[in-house]
Amino acid sequence: MKEFFYRLFMNRRREKYWWINLLVPLVSIFLALIVGGIFIQSTGRNPFLAYRLLFNASGLIPGPYWRSSFAELLLSSSMFIATGLSFAIAAKGGLFSIGAEGQFYVGAVVAAFFGYSKPFAGLPSIIHIPIILIMVMLFGGFWGLIAGYLKAKRGIHEVIVTIMLNWIAFYLIQGWLVPTGGPMAAKVETGVSGTPYISPTAKLPIILSNTRLNISIFIMIAVSFLIWFLLYRTTFGYEARAMGHTAIYNMEAPKVSGVNTSKRIMQIMFLSGAVAALGGSFIVLGILSQFPPVFEGGYGFDGIAVALIGQNEPLGIFLSGILIGALRTGATSVQIARIPKTFPQIIEGLIVAFIALHELVRYLLLKLAKAKKSSVTEGSVE
Amino acid sequence: MEALGVRNIVKQFPNVLANDKVTLSIEKGEIFALVGENGAGKSTLMKIVYGLYTPNSGEIYVFGKKEDIKTPQDSIKLKIGMVHQEFMLIPRFTVTQNIVLGDEPHKGFVFDYLRAISEVREISDKFGLKIDPTEKVENLPVGIQQRVEILKILRRGAEILIFDEPTAVLTPEETSELFKTLNALKQDGKTIIFISHKLNEVMEIADRIGVMRRGELQGIVNKSETNERELARMMVGRDVVLELPKANVKAGDEVFSVSNLNVKNTKGILGLKGVSFSVHAREIVGIAGVEGNGQAELVNAILGFLKPTSGKISINGKEIKLITPYNMRTRGMSYIPEDRKRRGLVLPFRARENIIMGQHTLYPFSNRGILNDKEIDAFATKKLQEFDVRPPDIYSKAESFSGGNQQKIILAKEMSLKHNFLLASQPTRGLDIGATEFVYKMLVEEKKKGIGILLISLELSEIMGLSDRILVLYNGEIVGEVTPEETTEEELGLMMLGLKRKERVQ
Repeated sequence: MKEFFYRLFMNRRREKYWWINLLVPLVSIFLALIVGGIFIQSTGRNPFLAYRLLFNASGLIPGPYWRSSFAELLLSSSMFIATGLSFAIAAKGGLFSIGAEGQFYVGAVVAAFFGYSKPFAGLPSIIHIPIILIMVMLFGGFWGLIAGYLKAKRGIHEVIVTIMLNWIAFYLIQGWLVPTGGPMAAKVETGVSGTPYISPTAKLPIILSNTRLNISIFIMIAVSFLIWFLLYRTTFGYEARAMGHTAIYNMEAPKVSGVNTSKRIMQIMFLSGAVAALGGSFIVLGILSQFPPVFEGGYGFDGIAVALIGQNEPLGIFLSGILIGALRTGATSVQIARIPKTFPQIIEGLIVAFIALHELVRYLLLKLAKAKKSSVTEGSVE
Repeated sequence: MEALGVRNIVKQFPNVLANDKVTLSIEKGEIFALVGENGAGKSTLMKIVYGLYTPNSGEIYVFGKKEDIKTPQDSIKLKIGMVHQEFMLIPRFTVTQNIVLGDEPHKGFVFDYLRAISEVREISDKFGLKIDPTEKVENLPVGIQQRVEILKILRRGAEILIFDEPTAVLTPEETSELFKTLNALKQDGKTIIFISHKLNEVMEIADRIGVMRRGELQGIVNKSETNERELARMMVGRDVVLELPKANVKAGDEVFSVSNLNVKNTKGILGLKGVSFSVHAREIVGIAGVEGNGQAELVNAILGFLKPTSGKISINGKEIKLITPYNMRTRGMSYIPEDRKRRGLVLPFRARENIIMGQHTLYPFSNRGILNDKEIDAFATKKLQEFDVRPPDIYSKAESFSGGNQQKIILAKEMSLKHNFLLASQPTRGLDIGATEFVYKMLVEEKKKGIGILLISLELSEIMGLSDRILVLYNGEIVGEVTPEETTEEELGLMMLGLKRKERVQ
């Protein structure tokens, strides 16, 4: 265990002012809350009341109804963590993938299909759920691999391809597969719109009674750890990070060292797609139990924000996923303070803005650290 | 009259004392050269004068008056101009647009482009720096781009011109063009400060030379009273041996060959035309030539970055059908790249991570795809010591090492790979004397070990000093094959310019 923690933090510890990497997101969050407070104040409402309501209902702080809001928090967090990790894996490998949204859709629809369709629906949970998750990751991975293949073999920029794949996934699913009459739509006589409901054996097991909290959060803990391990402890991750660091130079340094960058690009994009799709399966297997006719997405794009706040590090993404989950969970309660429930998304945007300004935050923090240090040393001289 | 004086300048960076009480005085109308190894503090000193850094203590006098220079704007007002190593030009803009940028002539709110053009013409005529004011900068060769930079600072009325390693990016012809310009500017009464670590250039152009080492000024000498050897000793602090005794060993079997290689470059032009040669064990084959005559195409073809239109490449007598860096390396090639930062290192990676690149998949560095930290650390520690990398900290990021030490990390990495053919592409580019000496020793040792080396270099002295055979590349063709004993630098120079051919009868 000690060894594990040592390794987890070793990369940072050797650096002078390593703690700044940790402090930058924290300070950004703090600044975002202050600026958000100023917004509320300027519209004549009470920021303290708003924040109290927000955090009381977020599931972060124990209180009345904590149990259920805590469950909701973890439930949505696991999806944000999935899409955040998806973005980060690609980003670490020097690829700017914004395809998590489409891969999330693919994951959700594949989960629904294998959840209700016949040969699988009768199987016991212990076999049924793994089959669904594997199929979800294969299909999501394939969706990512398309972009990876075009990048590696044809040199087409992954941003363009992933954007287009998002739309392709969206219209394939919502325009053809799921609407009434589509190949995956429920029969009209059942009175269900969207896909049929998944078999009870496909539902993720609940881990907290009287709530909707299921094992998805455990899955994401394991996945986060596996990705950290993959990135920092394996030759695959070593090569991926080398590619990411040299992306501006066309990955020449790893290439001349004999790294097969084309193969790695495809593997990275597959992995990135698989993880995002996993997030998509959670919403079907844990919350909606079907793919509805109107699907509220956005998790994929929020994943980019999650990855940014988490500085593309698996541990950071896990924590920032929890934070975004908390803001979303507490969102509705701010309406009591006469603030629209979309307000927490403003906070989210502000955090991202301050993270984007991280050089400034870092600079200020470093200045602060140095000033403190020099005043201490000068004091000791006198 | 003193144009620029610095007194007791101290600049402390987090880990190094970059300038330690530097005091010097530069006369109006002279060319003053500041030499020193990479990291000696010469660029730092000039950046202080230009206002890019603020010193911890010390004073700056410009034309006899004490000045407080905080930003480049201050120094521009004091008629100090600087030509940086990396040009600060906008490629898509025309020469005129670049020159007037930041101080544009205007009619009311409207940018007066025609007046700007005539202003640029006027100033280029005045100083004899020929240029087409309407040409886009991206279409100009590097030497002319530098001229744009010079015109830009002259237009702002600069009297003191600082050149930060201006010849590093230039070809020999462009360099001599630049020196003509510098002399003309000197005749005009401008004061020129010339930062360099190339001693032959300094001896050619400077009036007085200041030598820096580890942040301290070692002394100022008149050019007429010194020579390169003495300067080198002052720079490094000991005698430097750049002329190595040739290791006269008999060449062995062929380890590498290309035959009838035709390569199109990225612009679609044939960059290599029917090139054939071979490299044998215990032999250094030097490729001489002016930059841009096919060297890049040759290297990229050997690495597989450019696909030859015809011809074949073989290692150890076996033709490589599918040329990729991996296939070449597994068959015994090591490669010292011409561009350290781009091809040699992953800059944000630590020394320990860089040093195993290329062998990270091998036991003991990894086992079934999982890295073994202990073995990597032990290996990196050993190698950094063996190659005398400073500081010997395996956790430092590659970008934090000086150029010479970065090159040593690359050497440590490439030499520890199993190889019998070494492709050394400009291995001393941008290195100071101490590091250059190290690289030369390394190459000779490799040769003694039985490795065949293909040395591509722009430095004639390097080619002459190290090679057993010299091939001259001109316009994508090999126009001559000679041995250093039977040729002279003059003859090589003529061949490099395409004025003479000398092919060995096969």
